[in-house]
Amino acid sequence: MQQLKNLALLSLTLLASAALAQTKQVMGVSIPSADHGWTAGIVYWANQTKAELEKQYPGLTVIVKTAKDSNEQANQIQDLSAVNKINALVILPQESAPLTRPVGNLQKKGVFTVVVDRALTDPTAQNAYVAGDNPGLGKVSGEYVGKTLGGKGNVVVLRGIATVIDNQRVDGFESVLKAKYPNVKILDKQYANWNRDDGFKVMQDYLTRFPKIDAVWAQDDDIAVGVLKAIQQAGRSDIKFVLGGAGMKEMIKKVQDGDPLITADVTYPPTMIRDAMRLTAKSIMTKTAMPKSTIIPSTLVTKSNAAKFYYPDSPF
Amino acid sequence: MSQPPAAEFINVTKAFGPVEVLHGVSVAIAAGEVHALIGENGAGKSTLMKILGGYQPPTTGEVQVSGQPVHFRSSRDAEARGVVLIHQEFNLADDLSVAQNVFLGRELGGLLLNDAAMNAEAHAALSRLSVPIDPRSKVRDLSVPQKQLVEIAKALARDARVLIMDEPTASLTVRETEVLFDLIRNLRAQGVTILYISHKLEEVKALADTVTVLRDGLVVSSGPASELTPHEMANRMVGRELEDMFPPKGQPGERELLHVEQLSVPGWAQDIRFTLHAGEVLGFAGLVGSGRTELFEGLLGLRPRTLGQVRLAGKAVRLRSPGDAARAGLVYLSEDRKGKGLLVDFKLRPNLTLTTLQHYARPLLDIGAEQRALERAAKDYGIRSGRLDVEARLLSGGNQQKLALARILEADPQVIVLDEPTRGVDVGAKREIYLLIDRLAQSGKGVIVISSELNELLGLSQRLLVVREGRIVGELSGAEMSEQEVIQYATGLKAAPSHTTPSILESA
Amino acid sequence: MTTQPGEAQVTPRPSALARLGSLGPLLGLGALMIVATLLNPDFLTLSNLSNVLTRAAFIGIIAVGATFVIISGGIDLSVGSMAALIAGSMILIMNAVSPGVGTFGIIALGMLCALLIGAGAGLLHGTVITRGRIEPFIVTLGTLGIFRSVLTYLSQGGSISLGNDLSDAYSPVFYGKLLGIPIPILVFAAVALLGGLILNRTRYGRYVQATGSNEQVARYAAVNVTQVKIITYVIQGLCVALATLLYVPRLGSASPSTGLLWELEAIAAVIIGGTALKGGSGRIWGTVVGAILLVTIENVLNLTSIISVYLNAAVQGVVIIIVAFMQRGKKVG
Repeated sequence: MQQLKNLALLSLTLLASAALAQTKQVMGVSIPSADHGWTAGIVYWANQTKAELEKQYPGLTVIVKTAKDSNEQANQIQDLSAVNKINALVILPQESAPLTRPVGNLQKKGVFTVVVDRALTDPTAQNAYVAGDNPGLGKVSGEYVGKTLGGKGNVVVLRGIATVIDNQRVDGFESVLKAKYPNVKILDKQYANWNRDDGFKVMQDYLTRFPKIDAVWAQDDDIAVGVLKAIQQAGRSDIKFVLGGAGMKEMIKKVQDGDPLITADVTYPPTMIRDAMRLTAKSIMTKTAMPKSTIIPSTLVTKSNAAKFYYPDSPF
Repeated sequence: MSQPPAAEFINVTKAFGPVEVLHGVSVAIAAGEVHALIGENGAGKSTLMKILGGYQPPTTGEVQVSGQPVHFRSSRDAEARGVVLIHQEFNLADDLSVAQNVFLGRELGGLLLNDAAMNAEAHAALSRLSVPIDPRSKVRDLSVPQKQLVEIAKALARDARVLIMDEPTASLTVRETEVLFDLIRNLRAQGVTILYISHKLEEVKALADTVTVLRDGLVVSSGPASELTPHEMANRMVGRELEDMFPPKGQPGERELLHVEQLSVPGWAQDIRFTLHAGEVLGFAGLVGSGRTELFEGLLGLRPRTLGQVRLAGKAVRLRSPGDAARAGLVYLSEDRKGKGLLVDFKLRPNLTLTTLQHYARPLLDIGAEQRALERAAKDYGIRSGRLDVEARLLSGGNQQKLALARILEADPQVIVLDEPTRGVDVGAKREIYLLIDRLAQSGKGVIVISSELNELLGLSQRLLVVREGRIVGELSGAEMSEQEVIQYATGLKAAPSHTTPSILESA
Repeated sequence: MTTQPGEAQVTPRPSALARLGSLGPLLGLGALMIVATLLNPDFLTLSNLSNVLTRAAFIGIIAVGATFVIISGGIDLSVGSMAALIAGSMILIMNAVSPGVGTFGIIALGMLCALLIGAGAGLLHGTVITRGRIEPFIVTLGTLGIFRSVLTYLSQGGSISLGNDLSDAYSPVFYGKLLGIPIPILVFAAVALLGGLILNRTRYGRYVQATGSNEQVARYAAVNVTQVKIITYVIQGLCVALATLLYVPRLGSASPSTGLLWELEAIAAVIIGGTALKGGSGRIWGTVVGAILLVTIENVLNLTSIISVYLNAAVQGVVIIIVAFMQRGKKVG
């Protein structure tokens, strides 16, 4: 009898702790520190979403950590697991390869891992993947450029930093032009390193070199800012439009206000971190499965839909 | 003589571009002798010795070692044949240990260094010189004479049969010089041949078996040292009868020019007080390391110090920096010409005007006026240079020193402190500097001379202060001034609190 | 007086090779310009040359300051970060001032603040380095991180942009011309001339060279070495501020990527120009040529597509090393 009583007590305790485990969950979010506009947006949205989710799910704690390089990030997620005892990790890795193993180790310990934007080199290390669509960004941009030019014209391209992301975008862009708009000619593609100063310099030189340019594909809004200044300085009127990318609020505002050169933008939104965090929280709090892969499409922003993409409080 | 000469030059010439500096020199250096090579700066001594040491090839002519013709392409070649040159400026790595220096470039051991064996061999080499230096101590921590011994040990460890020594006593005191001479005689007894270059003719007389005199790239004479007096050597070097080295001493005035009280430089000098009068040449004697240099560096604010009072021409002054001192009329010429005296990579003009640049700023620098000042100084101080728009490092030692002197005198000082004013300077330039010192005193200025050459101090100064272990331990004037007196004070045999006998090793 | 004929002979005339070597950077630039013109005749158009010189102005003005620091035997690694911080602070200050002061007043105030921040940063560097006796490499490596992260903090990682009206009013400082010459080029020329004058024709310039050549000798020769060094860092700070005054109106914004790696470009311009990294000797005109050379390489690469864009950095590296090699002839003499 005594034994039975003990057993009952034990099972009761077990039940209670299981119930507790269900309501008390810790989610770690590891992201790059804000070193340029887009990552600043990531940091902003991660913190916004933390507040939103902790309000929505009372049992959920969200810990947001930023890291300036892969090494720091690897140490950080170790700490998140060992010290903070996280149940789920949402990570936007600085680099894919060096972080694959550390994320895999956490997964083996039972942490639910969600990777954002930059896929790990070993896909089995991630339980789920949420990303923007880089080839898509290139394709949407190519489609817009080809169509707006009426299938004919000269385009200059400003690239980012030599990475997979940059290659995917440029390949997507070129494939659309080649397939659908063979008469749109790409005059040159130079690196502008995703920053304004280099955008200005490269565009200045394009303007010296090519007497007739119909459109500029800058693929990134920071580069586009520099491009606009260079065109303005040269006083050239042959360029019909400049297409950036990512969805920086200043650019969206220009689209909304009907700027003569910035007629559209293509999103690659930092809000993808929000989407990843929301999906993860929902999955662990309600014990429902999360889709293995979620691709957030790059959308064309024009004057008609710009208001939907304008977040005046975000730094980006 | 059955044995061939240890080294021989046969009709050697050397030209740098169109300029020939050796015009057919033939000298034989007999095995096992101490052979002195003397001559004024520019006579070709250094070139000759660099040819034998493998640093420069002769243009024409032949060099033989032990009767065999040799064609050294580098100092390594020469070392392989047992010929080693010891430079005046040591070739030692300050941060390595004595043993590491001795074996630099030919370390013992395989993949891992055999430190024990190197320390033991270095110890053996040093013992051969009967010097107790720990092979593991760092060269940085050694005194100048100790470093010299390490250089010699390094040469011996390389099996040197012919040792070329370039002014080895330039920075040694009398006692240290004697220790070195014992060592050289000891080496000679062991069969080592020594080629000895020096400006100090008394030493040459005392040490050398044979003396070769060079003048303008030619051998003037070569013969047994016993046949020449130092005075005759000097005459042959300059090629004419040399007047007395030192001008007659003037009479110091009564007016006090500089008075220093209670000057202490921690670790170097304690409670120094002295007075200098107008028209006086005051000598500071003492061993290397006795604190003479540091005392004056402290006075000028170049070192941490405590100072009671300084009066310059009767007025109390505050000296916090060389700038304060120059404005008050006190200038100091460092003993370390290349390290603290001259900007060797600068041309002559900016070197001359560095201390007095305010006179040329209107507010832009008047380069023309600077140039005129240089031309005037070159004439006044006898600075000889083929061209005046060259870097200071291209001047000979004597001319560099005259330039350094000219710079401090540009400030028109009342008190001039000269630290080793004739170090590394040839006989002719030495005499010019002595005459200049006399001229300054005659014109009513006060001159303080610090020197390790006793005969220089005795010949120049009217009064001598002897410094030992940071204190002024003796004051000599008139008839009291003699070599013996000074040495007794300097070594603590007289009027000093303790009676420790300083050795060459303690003077660091 | 004795005569010593031997002595006059040891002072040789500088060799022809040495004199040619001292013109190394200029010859390098000349050669590069010829190659550039052959590859794309547009290189020699007035508008392209003016673009090149305008771009060289930023690095060039900073490099003039760096010339002083390096000649005195120091180094300043923080200039890029300092430029970013000055740009950001200046914009924030200008945005914050009430419009009542008038646009012109606001811009003047912003400029003044920029110069004060630059001079202050330089004073801080100089004082910590001399009085605190810390290696300049370490001090400025430290502030390199500090300045940039303060800016990143101020901008929250994004960019700080000048208000539209101000931006329009200020933009002539970069885009405007005087006598047909863009203002940044004029400022660059003025800074270079003034720098050359100070370095070669004033007491202070002489002291800077003496301090770098041998600090001990300078100290013994009654030069106030501490003061001389501190002022070099203040000059550097002022030059950075001046470059920033021209930079801000270009894009009207500052971000954490502003001025990235400028320190390396500035130091490279100084060294290519023939100033010794160990200090002691140097020349402003060389620095000016060095800065123009660096920008020209980049310009040429953008104007042609004969070399894969992936190899841009390699081409820059090769040109820099070749020019440095030509420069090397100087040491033969």
